[in-house]
Amino acid sequence: MDRIFEFFFKYRPLVFEQGDFTFAAPGTVRMWLIAAGVVGAAAVASYTVARAKSTVFDRRIMAGLRVALFALLVFCLLQPALILSTVVPQQNFVGVLIDDSQSMLLLDESGTPRTSFLQDAFTPDESELLTALSDRFVLRFFRFSDVASRIDGLGDLTFDGTHTDLGGALDAAREELSGVPLSGLILITDGAHNSDRPLTESLVPLQAAGVPVFTVGLGEEVVAPDIEMGRVEIPRSVLEGSALVVDVVVTQIGLGRRTVPIIVEDDLKILAEETVDLGPDGEPVVARISLKLEGEGPRRIHFRIPPQSGERVERNNARTVQIEVRGEREKILYLEGEPRFELKFMRRAVADDENIQLVILQRTAEGKFLRLEISDSTELQFGFPASREELYHYRSLIIGSVEASFFAHDQLQMIADFVSERGGGLLMLGGRSAFAEGGWAGTPVEEVMPVVLGEPAGGEEGFFAEIVVKPTPAGLAHAAVQLGEDGEGVSERWDSLPPVTIVNPISEVRLGATVLLTGTSPDLPDDQVVLAFQRYGRGKSIAMTVQDSWLWQMIPALEDQSHETFWKQVLRWLIDGVPESVEVVTDQEQVEPGESVRIIATVGDSTYIEVNDASVTARITSPSGLIEEVPVEWTVERDGEYVVEFRPSELGEYEVEITAERDGNTLGSDRTYLYTAASDEEYFGANRHTQTLRRIADETGGQFYTPEDVASLPDDIRITGAGVTLVEQMALWDMPFLFFLMLTLMGAEWGFRRLRGLV
Amino acid sequence: MRLTCKASSTLAVFAVSLSVGACEPLADALEEPTQFVSPGSELMAQQAPQVQRPTASGARGPRMDPSEASGRWPFYWTRAAYSGYGRGGWGRGGSWATDFPKGDRQFLFVLKRLVRLDAHDWENAVSLADPVLRRFPVIYMVEPGYMDMTDSEVAGLRRFLDAGGFLIVDDFWGMREWNVFEYNMRRVYPERPIVDIRLDHKIYSAYYDIEEVKQVPAIGFTRRGSTAECWGCEPEVKGMYDDEGRLMVIINFNTDLGDAWEWAEDPSYPLQYSTYAYEMGANMIVYAMSH
Repeated sequence: MDRIFEFFFKYRPLVFEQGDFTFAAPGTVRMWLIAAGVVGAAAVASYTVARAKSTVFDRRIMAGLRVALFALLVFCLLQPALILSTVVPQQNFVGVLIDDSQSMLLLDESGTPRTSFLQDAFTPDESELLTALSDRFVLRFFRFSDVASRIDGLGDLTFDGTHTDLGGALDAAREELSGVPLSGLILITDGAHNSDRPLTESLVPLQAAGVPVFTVGLGEEVVAPDIEMGRVEIPRSVLEGSALVVDVVVTQIGLGRRTVPIIVEDDLKILAEETVDLGPDGEPVVARISLKLEGEGPRRIHFRIPPQSGERVERNNARTVQIEVRGEREKILYLEGEPRFELKFMRRAVADDENIQLVILQRTAEGKFLRLEISDSTELQFGFPASREELYHYRSLIIGSVEASFFAHDQLQMIADFVSERGGGLLMLGGRSAFAEGGWAGTPVEEVMPVVLGEPAGGEEGFFAEIVVKPTPAGLAHAAVQLGEDGEGVSERWDSLPPVTIVNPISEVRLGATVLLTGTSPDLPDDQVVLAFQRYGRGKSIAMTVQDSWLWQMIPALEDQSHETFWKQVLRWLIDGVPESVEVVTDQEQVEPGESVRIIATVGDSTYIEVNDASVTARITSPSGLIEEVPVEWTVERDGEYVVEFRPSELGEYEVEITAERDGNTLGSDRTYLYTAASDEEYFGANRHTQTLRRIADETGGQFYTPEDVASLPDDIRITGAGVTLVEQMALWDMPFLFFLMLTLMGAEWGFRRLRGLV
Repeated sequence: MRLTCKASSTLAVFAVSLSVGACEPLADALEEPTQFVSPGSELMAQQAPQVQRPTASGARGPRMDPSEASGRWPFYWTRAAYSGYGRGGWGRGGSWATDFPKGDRQFLFVLKRLVRLDAHDWENAVSLADPVLRRFPVIYMVEPGYMDMTDSEVAGLRRFLDAGGFLIVDDFWGMREWNVFEYNMRRVYPERPIVDIRLDHKIYSAYYDIEEVKQVPAIGFTRRGSTAECWGCEPEVKGMYDDEGRLMVIINFNTDLGDAWEWAEDPSYPLQYSTYAYEMGANMIVYAMSH
C-alpha cells in the first residue's frame, strides 16, 4: 500500500505526516489568486461565447473541466512543497538493539529461525539495510536479554538469554548514547517482555529526550498448533497435609476441543493427574487440581502436559513452582460459651492433625472454665486473654456460642485488632449466644464479621430452622469445602449429608465477603448463609452459622469422613497465611544465577506493631553450604519493612533465614527458600508481540516494522529522527498524481465532447 | 475469672437447698462465689410445672412432643430405652424406665443450675434401635442388669458409639446383673475390654474435683441405714474406650446415681450421696460434651 502511495505521491505517507505544507513559488498568494481568476474567467468566457451546437449543460460541464485543469496548473506553478527536518548524514547516532534471548532461535512454520532476519539485514557489505543505515548514521549495536550490553557485531550474539527485559534494554542504550546526537533506537525483537518491571518506566525518559524507537517485530503473530501452561496459582507456603486446590491456566491455539492430561509431580512421584478439556480454539481454560502435600520443607512441584503431535513449542507445556510445606503445630484458641457437642466433635475431627493445636477455653459455669490442650498450667489461667500479647500468641481464634457481653470492651476491640492488625483468622460459630442473638451487633467485632447482623430473633424460643447445606459456585472452587478425596463430586458429597440446624437467621453478607455454603429450608423465604468469609485488614474472618455440624459425624455412615475433612480444612484455612511478627520473603521464587533478587523482611514486635529500629540480619546458605550473613536495612518507605538485594551464584536451593533484634532482644526469626535454575520463560508467549512493539514505537514517535517492510527504515529515521537536523524542502509539483489528474481532466473533456457530438 | 475447681461444697449447699429450701452463704466455697447463686426455695417452686408436662407417649415410653423439634436445643438428657425382662418404672415400661421421668427431670433441673448448659427442659427417652438416637450424643442407661437387647438395639448402640456417642450406665448391682450387662455389651463389642476408671482419670475433675467413688444408695435402702443392694458390693466406675483411646462408655456399678438425683429434695435422703451423684453427673456431662 505504501508503495502505491509513494508511486502516485512521490513520497511515503510518513513524509506527509512529518512535513509542513508550503508553496515555494515567488510572489504573493494574492497575486497568484488574481492570475488564476483571470485565466479561469477567460476559460468560462470562451465557452460562453463559442456556443456551436452545445447546450447550456454541455458548456457548463466543459467549462468546469477546463477551470479545474487551469486550477491544477496554477497549483503546480505555485510549487507546492513539504518542509521537514531531516537528520544530517553521518552526524547522528542510531542504537541497534538486538534480542539475544533463546526465543530468537524458535523456528517459524517453514523451519527458519528468527535470527535469519539478522543475517539478512546486518551482514556487512551484503545487506542493503545495513548499508542504508550506515550511510546515514553512525551505528552502535547492543545485545539484550535480561541485561543489555554493547557489542561490535552479530558475532557477539549467543541467543541464550533466558529473560527479555525490553525496558532494561532501552534504558541501557539510552544511557550509553546519552552524550551523542541520537536519532533513534532500533529495537529488533519478538517483543516478549517477561520482566516484572513495567515498560512505561523506560518509555517516559525516551519521550522526554525525544528519542524515537523503531521496532522491528520478528516471528509469527500466531504460533500454532501449540499448548501453553499459562499460569499456576499456588500459595507460597502450606501447612503439611492441607488440601490444596491449584488453578492451572492452559491456553492453546489450533488444538481446541482436545482433551489432555495435566500431570503434577515432585522430584519423587506423581502427586496428581487431572484431565482437562481444552475448550474452543484459542480460549484459555482453568483446570482445578486438588493436591495434598506431605513432608515438611521446601518442595518443587512440576506441572506438565505431554507434548501433542505437531506442537510447535514443547517447552512451554510445563511449569515448576516452589512451595514450602510447613510442619509447625499452629495454635488456635477456641472459646466456647457452654458445653456443646460442636466443640467435642470439632476436637475429634482435628485430633490427629499434628499441625493444629486446638486450645479450648470452655465456660462451664459463670466464672468457671475448662481448659483443654493447653501447653502449660499457666496458659489461659485467668480465662480469655486480657492483653494483646497473650491473644496474639494464637494464630487464629474461634468464638462459639458466647454472648458479646462476656467480653470487656477492650477485649472486643482486641479481637477486632487480632484480625486487622495481627492478621489472625477469626471464626464465629452459630449458637444461641452468637451473632445478633448474642448481642454482637454494634460491637467492634461486628465490623470484622463477613455477615450482616440483623435484629436478634425474637420470641421466647427464638429462631430455629433445619436446613440443607449446599456449596455455592465459589464454594465448589474453594479448598475448604472440598469433601471428596480428589475434589470430585463436591456437590454430591454435600447433598448426601443430613440437614443441620441454625438459630441465627443470617441471609446477607458484607460487601466483599464470599459465601461458600448456603442453607435452604422450605420454611424460609431466603437462602441462609452457612459459611462465608472476608478479608479484613491483614487477616480474615469466617462465619459458620450452623450450630450442630456434628450431625455430619453422627448421622452418615461410619466410613463417611465429611465432618472430619470439613473441619480439618476449615481450621487449616483459618490459620493459612496468618503472618508471624517477623517474616521474610523474596520478591521472586526462582531466579537464575547472577540475577538479582530482593529479600524483604517485615518486622514487628510481640503485638505486631511495626518496628523500624531493629537490627535485621539475613543468613543465606547456598546449595553448596556456603554461609553468608548480610545486614537487611529498613526501607524508610514502609514501616517495618527491611530489604536487601542478593545475587545468587550457584544453581540449586538457597536457604534465607533472617533474625531481627532490638535492644539486644530477639524479636523473631523466619526462613524462606530461593531456587536458582535456568528459566524456560522465553518459551512462553513465544509469538510476536506486535501490540507491545507498536506501543513502544507509538509512544516514542517511532515506527513499527516487520521484516517485510523494514527497507524503508533508514529513510524514516532520516525524516523522523532526532539529533542534528537540517530543514529540507521536498517539491510536490512533480507528483505523478498531479500529472495523472491533468490527463484525466483533459481526457474527460475530450471524451465528453465525443459523447455529445461536439468534436 | 479464675478457674475454680473446688465446688463440692457448693453442690452440698445446693443439695441442701433442694431438700430444705434454704439459701446458704457460698462465699467460702468459690473464688468467685457470687456467680453461683443458690436457687433455694425459688428452685423448688419451679419444679412444680415439670410434673405437668404434656408428653407424647408411645410403646417405648414417652417421646418428644412433635412440636419440639430435635436439634432446637444443643443438649437433650436422653434415656436409652432397651428391651428387657425386669421391673419397670414409668408405666412399667421396662427396667430402662426406672426412676423415669422424675429422676430425669430432677437431674436436668439441677444440672442446668450447676452447669451453663442450654438444655431441653424435659426428659427424652429414645429406643436404642431408633436411628434418631444419633441425634443425642449422650445417653443414659439404667438397670442394665435386666436388659435383653434385640439385635437391632445391639446394632443401634454400636452404631451410636462408633459414631462418637457417649453412654452413661447406672444402677445395677451384684455379679448376676453385671453378667447380664456384660453379656449384652459383648454383643455390642465382643472384644473391647471393660476397664476400671481410676480416680486419676480426667472425668473426675472435668467440673468438680471428685476424690472418692461413693456408693449411692436407692432411697429405700437409706431408710434402712444401708447403701448396698447386695451383700459385700463395692461401688466401681468402669469404662470402655474406642480405638483412639477415647472413653465412650462409663459404667457406674454397684451404685444408684439416678435414685439420688430423683430423691435429692427428700429431707430423708443423705446429703452426701445426692451431692456426690450430682457432682458425678455434672462431670460426666461436661466430659462427654468436650472429649
